[in-house]
This record gives sequence, structure tokens and C-alpha cells, in this order.
Amino acid sequence: MQPEVIIETRSLSKVYRDFWGRQKVRALKSLDMEVRRGEIFGLLGPNGSGKSTTIKLILGLLFPTSGQALVFGQDAREVTKNQRIGYLPEESYLYKFLNAEETLDFYGRLFNMPRAVRRQRIADLIEMVGLNWAKRRQLKEYSKGMTRRIGLAQALINDPELILLDEPTTGLDPIGTREMKDLIIKLKEQGKTVLMCSHLLADVQDVCDRIAILYQGELKEMGRVDNLLKVRDVTEIRATGLTPLAQEEIRLAIERNNGHILNMDNPTTTLEDLFLKIIRESEEHPGRRVRGVGERT
Amino acid sequence: MVLDLTDVTPFLTWLFGLGWTDGAIFGLIPLIVVLLLVGGGATWLVAAIRRGRGATSPRAGAIVSTAMAAGIGLAVAGIVVWLLLPAKTTAAIQPAFLDGAAWLLGSGWYHGAVYQWLLVAACAAELAFAFGWLASAVRHGPVVAFATAGQLAGDAVLDTLRISPRRVAALAGLAVKESIRRRVIVVFAVFIVILLFAGWYLDPKNPNPARIYLDFVLTATSYLVLLLALFLSSLSLPADLKSRTLHTVVTKPVRMSEVVLGRIAGFTAVTTLLLLPMSAISYAFVQRGLAHTHDVLIDDLQPVRGSTPGQPASLQGRTTVVSAHSHKVFVDSATNAAAVEMEQRHTHSLPLQKITVGGKAMYRTGPAEGMLVARVPVYGKLAFRDRTGQPAEKGINVGDEWTYRSFIEGGSLATAIWSFQGITEDRFKDGLPLEMTIESFRTHKGIIEKAVLGSLLVRNPSSDKNKPVTVEIFGAKDFAIDAHKIPRQWQTAGGKKIDLFKDIVSKDGQIEIWLRCDDRGQYFGCAQADMYLRASDASFAWNFVKGYLAIWLTSLLVVSLGVMFSTFLSGPVAMLATLGTLVAGFFHDFMLRLATGQTLGGGPFESIGRILNQENMTAQAAPGVATTVAQTLDAVAKFGLYLLAAVLPDFSRFSLAEFVASGFSIPGDTVLTYACRTFAFVLPVFVVGYLCLKNREVAQ
Repeated sequence: MQPEVIIETRSLSKVYRDFWGRQKVRALKSLDMEVRRGEIFGLLGPNGSGKSTTIKLILGLLFPTSGQALVFGQDAREVTKNQRIGYLPEESYLYKFLNAEETLDFYGRLFNMPRAVRRQRIADLIEMVGLNWAKRRQLKEYSKGMTRRIGLAQALINDPELILLDEPTTGLDPIGTREMKDLIIKLKEQGKTVLMCSHLLADVQDVCDRIAILYQGELKEMGRVDNLLKVRDVTEIRATGLTPLAQEEIRLAIERNNGHILNMDNPTTTLEDLFLKIIRESEEHPGRRVRGVGERT
Repeated sequence: MVLDLTDVTPFLTWLFGLGWTDGAIFGLIPLIVVLLLVGGGATWLVAAIRRGRGATSPRAGAIVSTAMAAGIGLAVAGIVVWLLLPAKTTAAIQPAFLDGAAWLLGSGWYHGAVYQWLLVAACAAELAFAFGWLASAVRHGPVVAFATAGQLAGDAVLDTLRISPRRVAALAGLAVKESIRRRVIVVFAVFIVILLFAGWYLDPKNPNPARIYLDFVLTATSYLVLLLALFLSSLSLPADLKSRTLHTVVTKPVRMSEVVLGRIAGFTAVTTLLLLPMSAISYAFVQRGLAHTHDVLIDDLQPVRGSTPGQPASLQGRTTVVSAHSHKVFVDSATNAAAVEMEQRHTHSLPLQKITVGGKAMYRTGPAEGMLVARVPVYGKLAFRDRTGQPAEKGINVGDEWTYRSFIEGGSLATAIWSFQGITEDRFKDGLPLEMTIESFRTHKGIIEKAVLGSLLVRNPSSDKNKPVTVEIFGAKDFAIDAHKIPRQWQTAGGKKIDLFKDIVSKDGQIEIWLRCDDRGQYFGCAQADMYLRASDASFAWNFVKGYLAIWLTSLLVVSLGVMFSTFLSGPVAMLATLGTLVAGFFHDFMLRLATGQTLGGGPFESIGRILNQENMTAQAAPGVATTVAQTLDAVAKFGLYLLAAVLPDFSRFSLAEFVASGFSIPGDTVLTYACRTFAFVLPVFVVGYLCLKNREVAQ
């Protein structure tokens, strides 16, 4: 049996109009999709493809021109659904004159949480996003990454079942990005459902179970990430400890079987992995210049 | 107090006929409509709440819509029936006095303000529903719109009922913090600076300095606080929309009703927090600014003329000049008893203190007395007698443009008679303290320094045969409150002893006070409010607080209006709209007069024509195409103005400063009326704000 549907859109469309009611942009054209419990769903597409519009329609921040968006089986304009939702906006739209604790307390009160529960939850979240050292500072003094973290904390204040993340990794440094991605996966492990949109393909590839690709407001592709990315007529072999002789033997074996070698080389790591490795090592041995992976060999 | 229907809201006169005419809407039909709505609504509500779901389903929406449509249908039927019926005779008798809660809850055939308000609210809800249906029908067609509009109405009720105090408190707290961030404290600083320099501009020579001081602090406070309320309330929501901080808020389980209410509550809290210290400081400022004492050099005191030389005689003299005035002082050298004459509406407390300054012996008066008061006047009803002593409707018109006062002729039987009720012995133990403001009108100069003489008489109204008895002959003071006292007992010129309560006041506590002018050829002008009995004084401090309460109520209304406008307008435009409402509200009476054609020179378009043609306002407009066009346009404009005047609050009635400044106690029911009137407006304003925000795309 398939898990229950959390988000459902039925030929959801949005047309932006100007003051006089003239059509300006068709931001979304008849989108049909479903997000099921426990999965990480990614909305992918270039700028202006309708990703944010979709999320805002699902949240009830925008009203559909036609069609319907259902969240937990209720209409998206219904406020009670928000009880089970956490939302991290594209940029953390928070009140700059509050400090971290006040911010979380404010949003906690909007969930009608009792004081004791609120306190505990705020302490936990601030600890989790690593802002303990700055919790008494006003948000206007925060860096972009810090604002993003506190934004994430407020999205999780109610321990939501469904989390909507609008461009979760923009503005974050590589460490922050990795932490964000780890966190998203952790949320999935806790059984939560995540809908995120991003134009950073690597991020989506790393965490999402299923993706939908939007272009100019139209759904172009939807499916499981591993299925979509699998190149079925290419075989990849990764091995270690092979002598050049053994490699030659494998090459011959492939040719014997009418295979065609596309590439046979030492792999390179990603820049992300390299960067994180350097940071990790410098934390372990402060003050020493670390030679890169390439130099060492 | 005499109650005018337009007091409650002018909207009524438009919808339910003018004055005291019973409109059709008061009949059975609307009652059925209201019952239907209430009954149907309640049933549906209970079901909806039980179901525990927020959004009203399309089916429930359709049911609500049907009920609303039925309401509209019945109302229309009622109006048609009313139009077809022959004109009703008007109930000409006004109930002159409606005491206590009668004006609110009704008595007899008068249904009371609450009933009328509910009726208006029901009609407004129907209008809003019709408008919502129309707007939705344009986009989705009439059938879908029927369910949508009903859903909206249902949601509105649910969203209002399910308001969570904690969320409202959180949002209100945020509004307060935002205000602090916007440096609200600057307003307070400005207020202090104004007070610091006020002394330069407040004229100490004024005959009534207390009035100037009180007027000044009350005006300064209300302008500052109202401006602040205007800025804070109208700029806040648009700023939140622009910075998109509202996105994060409304994606929490927050109802739009809570967003609107939170703002109103928060900014009202700010104005309250500001008004509290402002009123305390104002009070201290007025008290200190007016406090003074005078000295009298003992050597300068002169014996009063007529006393025997060599005897310890009564002495008189003038005090030193302080705050641009001095008092005449009488001292009895034998007993050391003293009297200080009234000047600038105050005297000084006694006894005089003997002090020595620089080797000179002098008396020092006590602090000023009677400057800051809250008189509780007991008003009577005024009737006139003409020069032959026959009852008359009015006195004489002496050609004054201001027809407020009616005049009685001197040296004739012309009389102004005030009848008072509720005069009991335990209320007036020391006799009747009387205060009056009489305008003398001279047809010949006479001795200009000598006051026009008048006499005060009293009469027992229990029988027509009772003759008036002279109490006192006095010289009229112009432009001043003239205080007299009718003693418990006195002797007439004929030597007859009169006891006030035994002989004059009737058993049911009524008395007539007669005023005559004794100088032939001179006149006294009087109006009903010119004479009153000063029963007792209320606490001035409490009266001062009431004055500030009125400012608070106005600021609450301004805050609500500002928040309401900011739900659908951008910041500066919302501010202008609120300001416009305020200004238009202050000219409410004029708008109503213009709309009902009571002004000279026709409506706006006709007036423009007159200005261009340099025509007199009173001249008949020349018939012609231009005039017809202008008058037709005027008819439309007047109708628009009428509607506008019907919806706008009458801000000119929202100030109680005049009471405080002129030293009269604000009656409790006046404060209650103001409070009710404020909330009668705040509630619909809140609903409109909620509906606008609810139907607005926050992310657009």
C-alpha cells in the first residue's frame, strides 16, 4: 500500500494580473502532482519557472486562478492546516528587531504553545541550529547564514509533519549547505515529509527521493531521482587495488564482449568534498597549511 | 439627556427614515429576518464547530448563502410594503429624557441603540454578502459564487469566534515592540518640550487662565496621540507585506482576524501607555502652572469708608500682582477674619498668614481656590413671559445674528422662568447655589460702568395662584459666570419671613426661578443652559481622567481605521485615507447639511457655477441648461455625500475637552455614550479590515 497523500494539486494554475485585471504572466499551468508521507520531494527548475508560486499556492499565500491545492486533504486556504506545517521562506522574512529567543517565542505563541513547552522547544532548536552564542542578539546583526539558521528553527518550532523549504541552501556556505542537507535527510528519517524547491541541481540530487521539473510554469518531468538519472546503457565499475596489468586485462575483456570503453581513469572528487575535507582537517590541526588531495599523490 | 437617533449612527436616518419616524425596517419583517439569520446561523455554527474543521464546505456555504439571500429578499419585500403603505403620521412627541440605560436598551416604543445597531449590522452584513457574491460572480459565475460567498460569510463568523487570546497577545506584543523600534518615545519627548516652552505662550492676563491651561494640555495631547496612532497603525501592515515578514506569520495557524485584532490591540496599548504618563504630567503641569499665592502689605491696608475713626475698623487693600492679577482683600482688624475677592475665576483659601519679608509685615494668602473645578450643574427648563406677563414661546429678538439667546425687556413684566426638578433638602442643605451667564443688551448707554440691574425671584409651582417672591436684586456681569445663592431663609422687603423648603419648593421637589431685568430700555438675553444650580462639585482629577478617556477612545477609533485601511492600501495611501476620514468626520455636520440641501447656494457643482459667475449665494439660480446640469450633478453628489456622512463617525462629537476646560463635570452617561459609539464603529471597522486581508493574496 502506498503511503497517504500529504499534498495534492489538481490542475493548479496561476495567472498573475496587473491592477486592471490584464494578464501579465501565466506562472503555473495546470499542475497535477502528489507528495506522499515520508518522502523528500524536490521542485526543480530555472528562475521564474513557477517553483515558488507552487509553494505559495500550497501555503495559501496566493490564491489559485483555477484548480485546487489540497494539504492534508484540506483546501490550501484553510488556516488549521498550518498547525502541522513548517515553512522556510526563500529569504528568512523575520522581524529584525527581535532576537533569536524572542523570534522563536513569538512564533511559538502563534501556535498557541504553553509557556513551558515553548521554553524547552526554543532551547532545543537554538542548540540544534548552533546559535546558542548569539541568541540574545537582534536579528539585524545576524549574517545571512545565521538568519537562515534561525529561519529554519522557526520552521521547526511546532515539530511539523510537513516541511516546505523554499531554496533552502541559497546563501549558505558549503558547510552550511551540507548541514542543511544532512538535516533534511534527518527529518525524513524522523518520518517527516519535505517539499523543497531549488535551482541548485546538486542539492536536489543529493537529498530528494522524487523530483518534478518545471519550466515556464509547466511540469516537464516527474519521478524518482534514481530512476530519472540512471543511464541504462552505460555500466560503471569502481574498484580499488588494481594493478595496471589487471586494468589492461579488464580492458581486453570488455573489448572481447563488444563493449566500448568510454572512459577509464582515476576519479576526481567533487569540490564540495574537497572543501569539507580541508575544513575538517584544519579543525583537527589548527595552524597548519593543509596540502590538497591532488598535491599529496 | 435628549437623545437623537443620529447620535447612534447617522446611517440609521438614511435607512430607517428621518428623526423619530418609524421606518418600515422597525416592523415585524426585519425581526423575522434577524431571527431567521440568527437561528439558522447558530444551528450551522454548532454543527461546524463540532465538526472541528475550519473551512466552511461549499455545501455549508450554499446554506449560509440561502439564508442571506432570504434575508435580502425579506428586507426588500419589507421596503416595498413600506413604500406602498400610506404615509404614517410621525410620532411628534420626543421623549425628552431617557435616563440610564434606556437609550441603550430601549424603553416603550423606542427600541434602544443596541437593537438599532444590530439591525444596521445585519443590513451591512447583507450588503457585504451581496457585494462578495457579485465580485465572485464576475470571475466564477453566479452559481459557484453563491457557495463561495456563503463560505466566506461562514468563515468570517468562525474566524471571529475562534480568535485565540494568546495569538492576539503575541501579535499585539509584536506591534508594541515594533512601535518602540519606531521610536515612539520621540512623541513623548516632543510633548515634554512643548510643555517646557508652553509658559511663554500661555497668556496669564486671560480672565480664565484655567481654561487656557486645560485647553492647551488636552489639545496638545490629543493631537500628538492621534497623529501617532495614525502613523503607527497605517504604516505597519504595508511594511510587513513589503518586507514579507507577514509570510512567515500567516503560514502559522494565525487567522486574519487575529492579525487585524492584534494590530489594533497592540497600537492601542501603545497609545494607552503613552497617554498614562502624559495625563499625569499634564495634570501636574496645570496644577503647578496655576498655583500661586499673593501678599498684602499690612501698612498699605486702608480703613473701609464709613467706619468710625479710632475704632478697630475693617481694612481693605489690594494684594501684590502675581500671574498678572491681584485681588481685593478685606481684613477685620479686630477678629483678623478676612475675605479675598474673586479674580480670574478664583479666590484664595484663608486664613491669611502673617509673615515678615525684609522687615515689612505682610499677610500671605493661601493657595488658589476654585480654579480647577468640575461643576455638576442641574439644568432646568426655560419658559418666557412677555412684557404684559403672559406666557410666550420666546423672548424678543434684538437683531442678534446668533439666535441662541432670547431677550427679555427691562422695566416690564417680561420674565425668563427656569423650572427645576428634584430639589430636596438633603441635596441642598445650605440653600440653592445658582450660577448664571446673562448677556445684557443695552439700547441706551446709561452709566456704562454701572451694571444693568436685574432681580431674581422664586415661585412655588404647586399652584398657579402662588406669587413669585423676590430674593435678590443684582447687577449683571457680562461674559462671566455670576454666582448667587438662594438662602434657606430670608426676609422680604415687606418683612415677611420666607423658608425655602417650607414655602417655595413644592412637595415633589420643584421650584421656579424667575429672572427680570429692572432697567428700563435694557435687555437681558438668556438661553436654557444659562442658569443652573450647582449641586455639588465632582472631583476635578476624575473629570480630567474622563477627558483623557475621550482622547483614548478617539485614538482607538483612529487606530482601527488606520489598520483597516492598511489591509488593502499601501502605507502612505492608507495614512491619507485615515486622515481624510478624520477630517471628513470633523466636518460631519456640514456634510450632512450639504447633503440634505440645508446650505445656501446649492451643492458643490452649483456653488462652482456661482463662484465663476460671481453670483450671490442667496440669489435664485437663473434657469438654463447649465443650472439644470449642475443641479442634476449635485443631486448625485449629494446622495454620495449622504451615504458617506452616514458611514463616517462624527469626530467632532468625540471630544470632551470642552467640558474639562470650562470646568464642568462630564456626566457619566456621556462617557458611556462615547464608549458605546466608539465600539459601535470599531467593530464593523475590524470586520471590514479582516475581510479585506482575508481576501488578499499575501504574497502578491
